[in-house]
Amino acid sequence: MTLLLQDDGVAPHGGGDASSLLEPTSGRRGDSAFKAVALIAGLAVLAILGLIAYSTTKEAWPAFKQEGLGFITSTTWIPAENKFGALAFIYGTVLSSLIALVLAVPVSLGIALYANEAAPRRLRKPVVYVMDLLAAIPSVVYGLWGIIVLAPAIQPVYKAISGAVGDIPVLGWFFNGESGRSYMTAGIILAIMITPIITSLSREVIATVPPAQREAAYGMGATRWEMIRAAVLPWSRGGIVGSVMLGLGRAMGETIAVALVIGSQAKITTHLFDAGDSMAAVIVNQFGEASGTHRAALIGLGVVLFGVTIIVNVSARSIVSRFDRRSQGA
Amino acid sequence: MTDLLSPDVERLLLDATTSRSRRVKNRLASIWMIGALLVALVPLTLVIGYVLFKGIGQLSLAWFTEDLPTITRKAGGGMGPAIVGTLLITFVAALMAIPLGILGAIYLHEYGGKGRTARLIRFMADVMTGVPSIVMGLFIYTVWTLTFGLNGFGGSLALGCLMLPIIIRTTEEMLRLVPDELRQASYALGNRKWRTIVTVVLPAAFGGITSGVMIAIARAAGETAPLVFTIGAARNLNMNIFQGPMTALSVQIFGNAQTPFEAAQARAWGAALTLVGIVFAMTILARVVSSRVARRHSA
Amino acid sequence: MRSSKRSVAWLLAIVVTVGLVAGACGKSSSNSTSSTTSAASKFDYKSISGTLNGSGATFPKAFYEETIAGFKKVASGVTVNYNAVGSGQGKKDLAAGTSDWAGSDSLVSDADKATFKGPFLYFPTVAAPITVSYNLSGVKSINLSATTLAQIFMGKITTWNDPAIAADNSGVTLPSTKITVAVRSDGSGTTSNFSKFLAAADPTDFTIAAGDTVAWPAAQAGKGNAGVAQIIKDTPGAIGYVDLSDAKATGLSFASIKNKDGKFVAPTLEGATAALANATMKDDLTYSALNTAGAEAYPITAGTYVLVYVTPASNASAIKGWLTYLLTEGQNLAKDVDFAPLPTALRDKALAQITQIQG
Repeated sequence: MTLLLQDDGVAPHGGGDASSLLEPTSGRRGDSAFKAVALIAGLAVLAILGLIAYSTTKEAWPAFKQEGLGFITSTTWIPAENKFGALAFIYGTVLSSLIALVLAVPVSLGIALYANEAAPRRLRKPVVYVMDLLAAIPSVVYGLWGIIVLAPAIQPVYKAISGAVGDIPVLGWFFNGESGRSYMTAGIILAIMITPIITSLSREVIATVPPAQREAAYGMGATRWEMIRAAVLPWSRGGIVGSVMLGLGRAMGETIAVALVIGSQAKITTHLFDAGDSMAAVIVNQFGEASGTHRAALIGLGVVLFGVTIIVNVSARSIVSRFDRRSQGA
Repeated sequence: MTDLLSPDVERLLLDATTSRSRRVKNRLASIWMIGALLVALVPLTLVIGYVLFKGIGQLSLAWFTEDLPTITRKAGGGMGPAIVGTLLITFVAALMAIPLGILGAIYLHEYGGKGRTARLIRFMADVMTGVPSIVMGLFIYTVWTLTFGLNGFGGSLALGCLMLPIIIRTTEEMLRLVPDELRQASYALGNRKWRTIVTVVLPAAFGGITSGVMIAIARAAGETAPLVFTIGAARNLNMNIFQGPMTALSVQIFGNAQTPFEAAQARAWGAALTLVGIVFAMTILARVVSSRVARRHSA
Repeated sequence: MRSSKRSVAWLLAIVVTVGLVAGACGKSSSNSTSSTTSAASKFDYKSISGTLNGSGATFPKAFYEETIAGFKKVASGVTVNYNAVGSGQGKKDLAAGTSDWAGSDSLVSDADKATFKGPFLYFPTVAAPITVSYNLSGVKSINLSATTLAQIFMGKITTWNDPAIAADNSGVTLPSTKITVAVRSDGSGTTSNFSKFLAAADPTDFTIAAGDTVAWPAAQAGKGNAGVAQIIKDTPGAIGYVDLSDAKATGLSFASIKNKDGKFVAPTLEGATAALANATMKDDLTYSALNTAGAEAYPITAGTYVLVYVTPASNASAIKGWLTYLLTEGQNLAKDVDFAPLPTALRDKALAQITQIQG
């Protein structure tokens, strides 16, 4: 995937000039028709994005109208009483994604640096292959493994940890609870899923570091680690932040794997080993039974999710492109 | 690059010239990097191992040909409709997304270039790759399923929307790799621009485009959330994508994973193995195609 | 080149042969198991054909799966599908006309009746106890009163050795294990029936709203009855409500519940039948078997219905055939999958109602 490092400054290729030098025969009509068709295809992207925003908001409107701002500030989600406050789900989405980032970022960066800077040449390609394979496994398969294998196996571990540190301040706030399906389990599964994404994106960024920089660092007698800190990381910091944010966006939108292992309990708690719920998981779990305002509220969750992931993605892309421009100017 | 020096020479240099704490830091960093790789390998090995060992027992001729069992908690039946469903829904999605995506990429690279429209489309295509698949499912539910009911085509639409931005962006990358000399040579022969694109540029980028398309297809084939809202559920083979519910491997895994029954869980593992097999085959094929193209380019 | 072509041909031949043999074996084995129905109806199943799509409650899923398989053997021209997506969705699908029949544990609300394309009928099919299943190694049976049950599900009782549980279980050694409450993550008729039972039997403790989805204060949730059964199976100390069929197939142990007459009754089909016998049937054949009187009655017994239009858009005769089968031969299959057949009086009324279907 080479989506991240996009040089926006490309001119139309082959130069329009050469074509316009040709005699104005019937071919010109074919040319403009072809261009129009291609433009329409490109505009489809804008149309689809616009239509997503419009049609989901329209279907969700009854819930937004009924709840107002309470839709995202209230924690009371009781379909039987027609109350729809989604704060607990928003919290769950954020918490599980943050756990995933905390676990995945050090691992991903380590692998990316290893593959680009430290690994023996013959190992580099296999490392990339393995990451590609990890990325190709469908999320539902991770979910299956999570619910049948990981959750029951890790429950005694949680129990032991919360037994040991549950009464200690600070540690006890977080490492508490003993539910096999929990925020933590969801975070672990998400971390496994976003590791290859962050790895491959930041690897691309690191690959753009000019060899001259590395050699300069080595030339001054730097160790490999000092070279990485002095030459590689400063150069690629923006790109790495961008790839981490893209990973965050992916984690927040993941549905099936989270729905299987998070435990489906709308609860705001700092206890990482307690069952929780996320926006995407609630949608997929309750949609089948929902009607009327309840269904509108679930689609509304989708709208919120759409908005949040768009914000995360747009800021990730602009961080990357701003950084690109700066580093090119330097 | 570090490879300019052999590891032994590098170590000698380090020993001779660096202080102890710098060496320790360097060593710790190496441990972190290798450790990270090992940590990532653990879940990969476990997941693939479980899928392989728990799923392989399910595979038989009946698995691929028979309908889903009526009684889900007992053993028996096959995965035929789900396998066909996954392939058919993904295929139709690809039929829609590939031409649109390639044309869009042609606009971006051959016509739009630096222009404002092209930059907007390029940016939005990047953003669209980040739209969660469940949102795509809800979107198709509101614009298709509410009017036309549950059917395979709704799933195809959702998967097509997920594939589109990936195809656009990877195809554009591949078009950039086509040397300008080829285009100019074609113009010199009196070809119009559109003929040049169709007969010269696209064939030259064919391998790379195919590889990108296959990665997009592989990713779509494994999607679950968009299908849950749109295709319904069926036990029997349904080849009509426009009429009546269908099923797919991912949906079967999702459903069977949430049961305590041995037979149903075994079915989930079997479906997972089948799905991972399809997806890996596509990914590896894409790699082979792209590395062959790369070799031809470097030659 | 030629040799590889030939080996492909061989491979094809082998695959085809194996397929034919397997197909033949499959057919002969399914033939031998048919024709084992005792209460045969007079309906000419051979004459009907078509595809009947149904969707709805997960609670009777096992029963409909069993009867769909049985129906296929007598009416080979008809394919019946059942998509267990929940009662609410089932009713919605029927209202929208995307299905031919709906399975539902709950009735259509007056507000929703207007969304249907015309008048429809309720056909009670089977009833079953909703078990309170638990995972507590070494504890084979346990008694729970409605009050204790409500307090457990409201998060007021959090460990198994709570005095309130011990009071009803003299002689049983209860561990200090933490209680994990397992509930449904999807909306469901089972939740509706279970919470309505708690609301009826102990309104002082059960202070939250009963319904298809309930805001349980502290619980882990799974999808479908099977999902709840899975949590209970995987989690020591868990307790949850699961239909008898899924609970038995999972191998869970279940509690005896104190009924209206003050007796602890285990969830059995006999207990469900006793509860049905004392339920009041309405004219539209709907009833509530929750918390009914009778020493033998299991208090958390739920019925389930098939909903069809009085004037179906298509497939009317196939629908009649399917309903007839459900209420005759199908009733004999109920016990195999742990559902209680209808009392004869109710069953006859339901059979008579089939004639109201037009077309």
